[in-house]
Amino acid sequence: MSDIFAVGPLLILFIGALLLLLVDNIKAVSVSTFGALIGAALCAVMAPASTSTLLTPWLAFDKLSLFFTLLFLGIGVGVHLIGEKKAEFSFFLLSSIFGLILIAMARDYLTLFLGLETLSISLYVLCSFIKTSPTGAEAAFKYFLLGSVSTAILLFGIALIYGATGTTKLIMPPQVDSLFLAGAGLVTVSLLFKAAIFPFHIWAPDVYAGAPISVTALMAAGTKAGAFAAFVRIFMMSYSSLDQSLLAIAIFPTLIFANFVAMQQTELRRFFAYSSISHAGFLLIPIASGGPDALSSMLFYLVVYALATLGCFACLTFVEPTLDGVKGLFSSSPVLACCFSFCLLTLGGIPPSIGFFAKFYLLKAAFGQGYIALVILGLLTTIFAAFYYLRIVAALFAEPKTAQRSVVGGGAVASFIATSALIALTIYPEPLLTILVAIK
Amino acid sequence: MLLLFLLPLFFALLVPNQKAAFIYSLAPLALLVTGHTEPIQVDWFIQGAIKFHLAADNLSLIFLYLVAVIVPITILVQKDKYSLTLLLQGLLIGFFSSQDLLFFAFFFEAILLPLFFMLEKPYKFIIYMVAGSCLMVAAVLSVLFGGISSTVVAAIFLLAFAVKTPLFPFHGWLADTYCLAPTSATILLSSLLSKAGIYGLLRISYRLFPAEMLAWSDLLVMVAIGGVLYGAFAAWGQLDYKRLIAYSSLSHVNFILVGIFAGNMIAQQGAIFSAINHSITIAGLFLVAGWLEVRLQSTNMLAGHGLTAQIPRLAWLTLFFILSSVALPGLNTFISEIMVLYGLFQISFWQTLLVGTTVVLSVIYMLRWFHSLYFNKPTGGHYSDIQTKELLIGSPLVLLILWFGIYPTAILTIIQSIK
Repeated sequence: MSDIFAVGPLLILFIGALLLLLVDNIKAVSVSTFGALIGAALCAVMAPASTSTLLTPWLAFDKLSLFFTLLFLGIGVGVHLIGEKKAEFSFFLLSSIFGLILIAMARDYLTLFLGLETLSISLYVLCSFIKTSPTGAEAAFKYFLLGSVSTAILLFGIALIYGATGTTKLIMPPQVDSLFLAGAGLVTVSLLFKAAIFPFHIWAPDVYAGAPISVTALMAAGTKAGAFAAFVRIFMMSYSSLDQSLLAIAIFPTLIFANFVAMQQTELRRFFAYSSISHAGFLLIPIASGGPDALSSMLFYLVVYALATLGCFACLTFVEPTLDGVKGLFSSSPVLACCFSFCLLTLGGIPPSIGFFAKFYLLKAAFGQGYIALVILGLLTTIFAAFYYLRIVAALFAEPKTAQRSVVGGGAVASFIATSALIALTIYPEPLLTILVAIK
Repeated sequence: MLLLFLLPLFFALLVPNQKAAFIYSLAPLALLVTGHTEPIQVDWFIQGAIKFHLAADNLSLIFLYLVAVIVPITILVQKDKYSLTLLLQGLLIGFFSSQDLLFFAFFFEAILLPLFFMLEKPYKFIIYMVAGSCLMVAAVLSVLFGGISSTVVAAIFLLAFAVKTPLFPFHGWLADTYCLAPTSATILLSSLLSKAGIYGLLRISYRLFPAEMLAWSDLLVMVAIGGVLYGAFAAWGQLDYKRLIAYSSLSHVNFILVGIFAGNMIAQQGAIFSAINHSITIAGLFLVAGWLEVRLQSTNMLAGHGLTAQIPRLAWLTLFFILSSVALPGLNTFISEIMVLYGLFQISFWQTLLVGTTVVLSVIYMLRWFHSLYFNKPTGGHYSDIQTKELLIGSPLVLLILWFGIYPTAILTIIQSIK
């Protein structure tokens, strides 16, 4: 019984998603989606860790799992607030959250693969959710083709690792041979693709710009967090003795490329695609550097990044997502513009926002391990970031007054909640950090 | 201390109009005068490795008083965006009283944000400043971990403060930013923001790296003297009086830096006193320049002549601030400049002689401005003189200038108790 309780969050999401297919009125959809997400969260907090030998080889029931479960469920609540209140949408949303949680709990390559595929297939469908939109179809098709290639690479990597070690379990083999290294390399490439790290980022701008905004939010916050959950599970928890500094090679071009290109974007969804590539580069820093602070600093950055991204996308639902489209938002809806700008400042790491400290903590962890070149590059890109985020903030407060828009609905609620959480973190971040440091 | 820091931030959220903003902005002054400066310390981040620690010693107090006095004056000449000014006031109070290195860097960068919205075409300024702040974060990291030679760290800090102040030759942003900005923002920039760099030098560079700063003293003094002369000659060449004041400010700020870099007691005390005086005088100069601009609809020196007949009160006020700026005996700047020159003289005669020329130069360029606009053969046009309200806005500055000029002992005792 307690074992069922332990996998309760997954079961609740699964059953909730199936039930959603049966209902078709908006209120019922909303109630059951929230019910499933919040029920799963409650269950995750209260459930005891399972010790059953049927479960523990596949799923990890540790603090890290709990943290990621709650993070993903929170992202799910945010996306549901932003997104369409349709049964199909909620079904795929819950499925993708299910996949994300599975990734974060994985203790075996098979569970990991299952999670990644559940996530990806749901996202392929969600990308083309607006059937009449040609860009949506293009985005979905591109994402599907490239995603399939990355899945194939992942499978090939897993196969090589199985060949080298004779197991699909996520454990460090006694001796490392070239076969194992080749497998680990392929797995890494596939995860770099999911996290949209240079040079595996090509899909991101087109897909982000083509998909509906709520789905883009799910990809920017959720998929990215999922990919890094996999990174943590594989490289920080299992292969921690493997030398990961090679990953630094991917970070340099990612930060440079993404920041330079982001400066030239005026279409905001494309802009956020490049900015999220840059953030992925930042998140990769602690994984490459390792060290005692690496995990907690990365998780802290991830929470801040996810909140701020959701806040930004929630605001984007009310405006045309271009630099001109958001001009003068402050005069028509001041609260929304303030929320938007605080989220942007957070993403830019500009004081007074917690983004500054999140970035500092991340760089501190890298600096402590002697990755000074990475720290310098990180700081330099912050200058560019300050420019392009402030440019949007300036547009929000610019003079030409736009027509009054109605800004009621889930998006406003989501952006307000995200901003409030960020402000609370800015005022006193120590409690969250205490929780994160306890995760080992 | 916490109240002092939070009150302006809180007020920034609820500003209905100028009058309320002005009253709110006086709150820090009231708190300072009544002595509400108990330190506060809270474990804040990374298991107490970073503390939220605000406290005020005499060095901080001097700059806190400047913030408390100058900000209300700027609010009175502002037309909108009062809450940004109040936000800036709160952040500046945080900056000048922060005792934790990371929070120091945090506020150092945070004060840019309100300014970003107050300035016209802010990008040049912002990019310079963010670059400075990033240097600062790098320096803070290296202080936290050690391992990097203190020479390098000291140099990084120095560079960050040099951009902010600005020390010659890091002044590329200065003239354009000062001239394009509205009067209130220019006053905040020249009067308070430039002091952030000077305060940083005194608080961080000379407390943490005294040996390095002493070793570089000769070089830095020469660079700063270069800035003094460059600023003075550049001001001489301007036809635009707002640019002229901007370059004169560059010259004076570098003069302060000469005093700081000279490194001996009397010169540094003189430099701190100069910093206070510069804040007051430059605020006054930009104030009258702003009023002139409203009347002339131009910042060109040749836009009008012989204005004294039409606007005598503004002419008197302008002359008063100009005389303060050129260090007329009996006014504030005279004593502080003498102190710096006296301190420098103990080190080098030739350097003192070089810097001393600026006293002559400043008279030339300042009086040239005054002469061109207020004297000469009157041109046509009708201008209205300043009213009681404007005189009242200027009066605190006038009183401070007279007070520090006639009876400097009061402030000097406080300055001498530093360190």
